[in-house]
Amino acid sequence: MNAMRILVRFKVTPDYEALREADWAAGEGDCSDRSGAAEADARAGSGVASGVETRYVPRILDCFDESALEMALRMRDATASDGVPVDLGAISVGGREVEPHLKTLQALGYERATRVHVDAGLDFAPTVTASIIARYVQETNKTDLLMLGCRNGPDDAGTLPFLVAEELGWPCVTQVTEVMVLSDDRVRVAHMVDDGLLRVTVRLPCVLGVGNAVVARLRVPTLTARLARREAHIEHVQTSDLGIDVVSGLAGESYVLTGLEVVRRDRSGTIIGGQTPREKAQTLFDSHLKSLMGKL
Amino acid sequence: MRSLVVLDGTVGTADRQARALGAFLRDGSTGHPAAETLVFFSDDRDMGRLVEQAPTRGVRLVKTAERRPDAIVDILSAAARDAENQLFIFTGGYSGTELATRLAHRTGGTVMTDALSIEIGPERLTCRRPVYSNHMVGSFELAARPWCVSIDVSWDDEAAAARREHVVLSSTDETGAAGGPDETPFEDLELVEPPPTGDLEQSRFLVVAGAGAGSRDGVERIAAAARRMGAEFAVSRPVAMSAWAPMDRLIGVSGTRTAPELCIVAGASGAPALYWGIEKAGFIAAIDLDERAPIAKSADAVILDDGVAVIEELAEIIAPKRE
Amino acid sequence: MSLSRETIVEGLKHILGADSVVTDERILRESSIDRFRMFEDIHGVYTQPIPAAVAMARSTEQVAGVLRFANEHGINVVARTGRTATEGGLETAVPDSVVLDGSGMNQIVVIDAYNMQATCQCGVPLQVLEDRVREQGLTTGHSPQSKPLAHMGGLTATRSIGQLSTLYGGIEDMIVGLEAVFPDGTVTRIKNVPRRAVGPDIRHVIIGNEGTLCYITEVTVKLFPYLPENNIFLGYTVDTMKTGFEVLREVMVNGYRPSVARLYDPADGAYHFAHFVPEGLSVLIFVAEGPAGIAKATAEGIEAIVARHPECRKVESRYISTWFADLNWGPDKIAREREGILQTGNINRTTEVSGDWGCINDIYENALRRIIEEIPDITMAGGHSSHSYINGTNMYFNYFYNVVDCGPEEEVTKYHTPINRIICEETLRHGGAIVHHHGLGKARTPWVKDEYGSSYYILEGLKRAFDPKGIMNKGTIIPA
Ligand SMILES: Cc1cc2nc3c(=O)[nH]c(=O)nc-3n(C[C@H](O)[C@H](O)[C@H](O)COP(=O)(O)OP(=O)(O)OC[C@H]3O[C@@H](n4cnc5c(N)ncnc54)[C@H](O)[C@@H]3O)c2cc1C
Ligand SMILES: Cc1cc2nc3c(=O)[nH]c(=O)nc-3n(C[C@H](O)[C@H](O)[C@H](O)COP(=O)(O)OP(=O)(O)OC[C@H]3O[C@@H](n4cnc5c(N)ncnc54)[C@H](O)[C@@H]3O)c2cc1C
Repeated sequence: MNAMRILVRFKVTPDYEALREADWAAGEGDCSDRSGAAEADARAGSGVASGVETRYVPRILDCFDESALEMALRMRDATASDGVPVDLGAISVGGREVEPHLKTLQALGYERATRVHVDAGLDFAPTVTASIIARYVQETNKTDLLMLGCRNGPDDAGTLPFLVAEELGWPCVTQVTEVMVLSDDRVRVAHMVDDGLLRVTVRLPCVLGVGNAVVARLRVPTLTARLARREAHIEHVQTSDLGIDVVSGLAGESYVLTGLEVVRRDRSGTIIGGQTPREKAQTLFDSHLKSLMGKL
Repeated sequence: MRSLVVLDGTVGTADRQARALGAFLRDGSTGHPAAETLVFFSDDRDMGRLVEQAPTRGVRLVKTAERRPDAIVDILSAAARDAENQLFIFTGGYSGTELATRLAHRTGGTVMTDALSIEIGPERLTCRRPVYSNHMVGSFELAARPWCVSIDVSWDDEAAAARREHVVLSSTDETGAAGGPDETPFEDLELVEPPPTGDLEQSRFLVVAGAGAGSRDGVERIAAAARRMGAEFAVSRPVAMSAWAPMDRLIGVSGTRTAPELCIVAGASGAPALYWGIEKAGFIAAIDLDERAPIAKSADAVILDDGVAVIEELAEIIAPKRE
Repeated sequence: MSLSRETIVEGLKHILGADSVVTDERILRESSIDRFRMFEDIHGVYTQPIPAAVAMARSTEQVAGVLRFANEHGINVVARTGRTATEGGLETAVPDSVVLDGSGMNQIVVIDAYNMQATCQCGVPLQVLEDRVREQGLTTGHSPQSKPLAHMGGLTATRSIGQLSTLYGGIEDMIVGLEAVFPDGTVTRIKNVPRRAVGPDIRHVIIGNEGTLCYITEVTVKLFPYLPENNIFLGYTVDTMKTGFEVLREVMVNGYRPSVARLYDPADGAYHFAHFVPEGLSVLIFVAEGPAGIAKATAEGIEAIVARHPECRKVESRYISTWFADLNWGPDKIAREREGILQTGNINRTTEVSGDWGCINDIYENALRRIIEEIPDITMAGGHSSHSYINGTNMYFNYFYNVVDCGPEEEVTKYHTPINRIICEETLRHGGAIVHHHGLGKARTPWVKDEYGSSYYILEGLKRAFDPKGIMNKGTIIPA
């Protein structure tokens, strides 16, 4: 039986939760203030990244990508005893911040670890990102199943899995919450659709975009496992090796971010007084909720 | 220049799509060119209702296979060859994202998902949509056409349900376009759950429990109090992730978005990812021990106290009035 | 003849009223442990004897009543407030124990801004007290990571210490007076004065007793001006821990008092600083605070000392201030931690010890080497120094392991205790102290006699004198 070759694409992002309110406000308006040359800068994504200053917060695995990475490991584990061998690879497009994560993944049993080196920020450039990944998959021709989180950084557009699939001409299922290996060329997935949860069997090759899965945390390798894989090779790929010119790709990205505003959430925040929970509940009810009861 | 509004009647959310698209056309877009609705359906019995719901006067009917977005994309790509069709507007949610993205890719156009609003100019389309996990709203300019825009899921308005005259401009059967069973990579479709979050989405009175509930027991007590008050019950992510409540109760960017008349939040700090799920609420009351929690600033009224204790007291007061 | 569970519950209800005596099964199970057995807890496995009841005291009189009752009938009492104990101090080691919970005694009695002291009951969360005094431009200066969760009673009972200790000291430097109830029901108050020389300082019989001698009902702590606008954050990378300790030492012995003085090793530092520190380097962190002139002079002094060590390279201070703002642990982090442990089986544990400048690096190196060599399934082992003194510093060992091939109830014996053993052995061998600030609890009692040596005589004497029937938190500090 042939091995099922899974490639998981992941992204390392700033931990936005560690930013404070003031940090967001500071990023506001930066882009719209730019003109001329600055617009090209905004196009390059880096202008945007400097809009919200994220340099000072730690980097984390995107949470949906983390799910995808663990799901793939579980697929390997689940089929370890009954025949369909699963061969795992991980790829990330980015800078040096990616390397420690690749080492971790190697220690967990990802046989192939690849970093496509890109200096420019690709935060708001899903098309370029998609073409890099797709081109890598085509060039290497070693992937039956491509998995990735549904989100592509702060862009939040959810378009990346579809864009990669379109580039490859592969079918695509997104918002995946569970995957099961059926045979070396079929998986059964559960995924969220607008009117429920849909289960479907998909013939490979295909792209799976992982959504809000219960499997959310990546397991942790032991120091011994790390040591054993210490010398493992990380493949470094230049975008030029893939025939992609990132700069012109970015210039050709069909949309441009021109401004950012902080979402304001001003409500009055009236503090309800009282001594006991009972008293406070009563005051809240009398002063505010009573009049709403009719609408409920 | 013409815009095509896409109503996908092959899935179970057509009513909602129609309301959302209607609201968006009315309030969310400016500089709009003449619009027609492309209605996809797979069951003839749905046809009349779908036409009635269409948010524009002109309607084109296309029959196609059930739950086959790939087939819809093929048909839309063909439509995009007509240079007049420069703007495609899709519903919010997962299906809108898929159709808009794939269509843009096939046609060399531009995709923009989750639009809060668009402004249509002769050369460029400007769009606002949430970015940075809803911490910010970004403005984007789109160049290459056709512009393929899916709208934000917050668009929804009962009043926007169409009650106008319709003209059916064309009607075609493209059922064959999806290909036979051998040609599709998808098999054995099974919709396992009815709308898992429908009740949350529709709820008019919502109680949200956060990590501040402190334990499974605390969460269960808040859920029980919500039941007594006749409120729907939802939780923040840490609560769902600790399996203190089922995942389908999750509210926020990774879960459901709601617009209740009244929302009571107990022990959730009001992180943006959660707040997104309730920001459309008419009135938000928060119970938190920490007056500096973000929710204390983003709620209408705040009680500084134990979440479980206050919710149980509220249930004592409200339950009798809701019987 | 010991009382039955039912009789104990009845007796407690008589003292406290029925509403204040909790006998819900699940709550009792969860009340049989603390974070030392959190892995069992997360998996719903409880191996300790289940207490007869949780008694919620609302006043000093009620505490006295419960203690008298327990003393009379030989019932083991486990004192509790914020429940953040990490060393087994809250474990009910004896069947039919009573957990005496003071979290309901949560009144701030007085904030005296003129005399710069605040008095509060044992169940006041430190965060609440701190927020209240900050409204008046003051601070307690106490900032343990558990500040959002821990209460004043527990913080006093464990000899806790905060992140700003190098300037403000540990809790023992902050407490000016307190009220405590002894097992026979005697209520004792030590008045609040700046200093006294009236014999031994008996505050220290109470501070750090971990519920083994008396129940703390009220404490008075010092207050300080709160001047965050003057804070100066400094950070450096350093090639080796040895040099890092050397810098810490020089800062201390030259008379500087930064509030924060920390040294992270590469493994521990990677968890916080990977976004700006190259792999393999250690990190030094200082915060200078106080009146503007002092903060400035402190920062300049530190800069000058660091400049003498070419190994040290400065990092942008905003990295440090951003990190510092997100250091405390609230319920959110606890919940996320549980979720992670449940999904991955990977758990984080810590052991904190201290030693003088002459031995601390040896303790650090030897213990770490042995942990990595001797313990299976380790996924990370490292540590940091976070509290420095003129004569030495602490070492906070921080380690993670995967719990594999054993049941939840074996986690402690398979991993945590062997690691504690290594750290305690190495610390004792080099002349350090086996606990720096979490308390001995039950986890580290196997080494308590070696820790005390001949002075164990005094500890035993205290126990005999104040808890002759041995009803106070059996198995804590003094081995069962
Ligand atoms: C990509 C991504 C997607 C996400 N999606 C979602 C999502 O869809 N939904 C979601 O909820 N989160 C989501 N999150 C997580 C989100 O950022 C927050 O971490 C989460 O909402 C916090 O949940 P919480 O408010 O329950 O917990 P916390 O932030 O820990 O807040 C607990 C609150 O309870 C208060 N409290 C404590 N004790 C009590 C008590 N006894 N009584 C009353 N109050 C008390 C505390 O003061 C605090 O304010 C997402 C995060 C990411 C990165
Ligand atoms: C995330 C986290 C971070 C932490 N960070 C720090 C830190 O930075 N510095 C630090 O010093 N500690 C830290 N700790 C440990 C812990 O917070 C401290 O030991 C704290 O002092 C315990 O206070 P508590 O109110 O939670 O006490 P509890 O957990 O309720 O009790 C602790 C011990 O004190 C006894 N006790 C409690 N109340 C009384 C009383 N009224 N009278 C007599 N005995 C009593 C108990 O029997 C027990 O032995 C941390 C713990 C956690 C979980």
